[in-house]
Amino acid sequence: MASSNMKDIKRRIKSVESTRQITKAMELVASSKLRKAKEKADNSKPFFNTLYDTMCEIVASDNTFNSIYTRKRKNNVTLLVVIGGDRGLAGGFNANVLKMAQQRYDELKESSEVVILPIGRKAVEYFEKRDVKIMTRYENISESLTIYGAMSIADKIIDVYNKDKIDRVELFYTDCVSPLLQEARRMPLIPLDIEPDKEYKGLTNYDPSPEAVFDSIIPRYLAGVLFGAIVDSFAAEQAARRTAMENATDNANEMISDLSLMYNRARQAAITQEITEIVGGASAQG
Amino acid sequence: MKPFTLKIITPEKVFFDGETEQIIVRTTEGDIGVLAGHENYVADLPAGPFKVKSDGKFRIAAISGGVLKVSKESTTILAMAAEWAEEIDLDWAKRSQEDALKRLNESKSDYEHRLAEMKLKRALNRINISQMK
Repeated sequence: MASSNMKDIKRRIKSVESTRQITKAMELVASSKLRKAKEKADNSKPFFNTLYDTMCEIVASDNTFNSIYTRKRKNNVTLLVVIGGDRGLAGGFNANVLKMAQQRYDELKESSEVVILPIGRKAVEYFEKRDVKIMTRYENISESLTIYGAMSIADKIIDVYNKDKIDRVELFYTDCVSPLLQEARRMPLIPLDIEPDKEYKGLTNYDPSPEAVFDSIIPRYLAGVLFGAIVDSFAAEQAARRTAMENATDNANEMISDLSLMYNRARQAAITQEITEIVGGASAQG
Repeated sequence: MKPFTLKIITPEKVFFDGETEQIIVRTTEGDIGVLAGHENYVADLPAGPFKVKSDGKFRIAAISGGVLKVSKESTTILAMAAEWAEEIDLDWAKRSQEDALKRLNESKSDYEHRLAEMKLKRALNRINISQMK
């Protein structure tokens, strides 16, 4: 009996060890991907901050400024852009952002129409299972996203917006605050909510006109916001996965040490029993 | 000529950050030159060539769309992508041109057509500029 018990424990130790190997490897991969994604996100910041400043200046320079992208429309149809991960095993990463989007969806659904644009395989799978209208799906684009990839998504959104098929756009993504903290966020995209830069008083010559420059900046700005959000979400996914895998590795270590203890006890018990048997046998003979 | 500060920023990196004497850039309204002390000016840039002068010599780069912003403190170009003429990968640009042409012919919607057209313009711009050096 003791030896079969020992065999069982030995097998369990082996199985936990191989799981630990996988979680450890995933942890290391996530760490290195996180670093790369963070770098990509940081490098793109100066570009979009300057674009945003330029837009604020245009709005501030002209009191009669009017663009279809800042005008509020009646909220009949809202588009929710939801950025999830392409893979699971990342702790609460996917669940958090999807829950937030679902809540907003239920809220809006009561009074108006809602369309969803999911980005990332997990987000696509989530909304496909439910009875919702999906505009376009984007899967497996997060890791190697280029600015042109983001541009094509932004163009698609603007195209639909210009055809009056949607009246408002909101974005759901996960902000990678720090490697240990990720937060799901909601961000209104269109109509743009721009604070005119009050201190700005310069006279600027816009070629051909402030409105024309503004409207041509919009797709690039939107692309930038999407690019930033997708890269940030990817970084958050990696950070969440790293933490989850780190915990899994720790748990595996703990299990292995518990199981080793059990194994040693079982082995000791088996030896003691054997000795008792031998001693018992010897004394019976003598 | 009096130098002034020029910054060219792309989403991937800061492409250029330094002093220059003159720049010539193509806007949607035509080519314009900027010298030190230019008035505040903002313009939309299509895919086009861009020349920057330092030490009396022009250096040529390709810009794939963006915004030019001139102010007293500095001149900034926000470009979707930028490459020096000598750094352009001609083979890649030609492949991208063929791909864009193929997509242009196969495009089914306005949206696809526009994307392909923009891609083609970027590719042609790169090819032109790499032959200008």
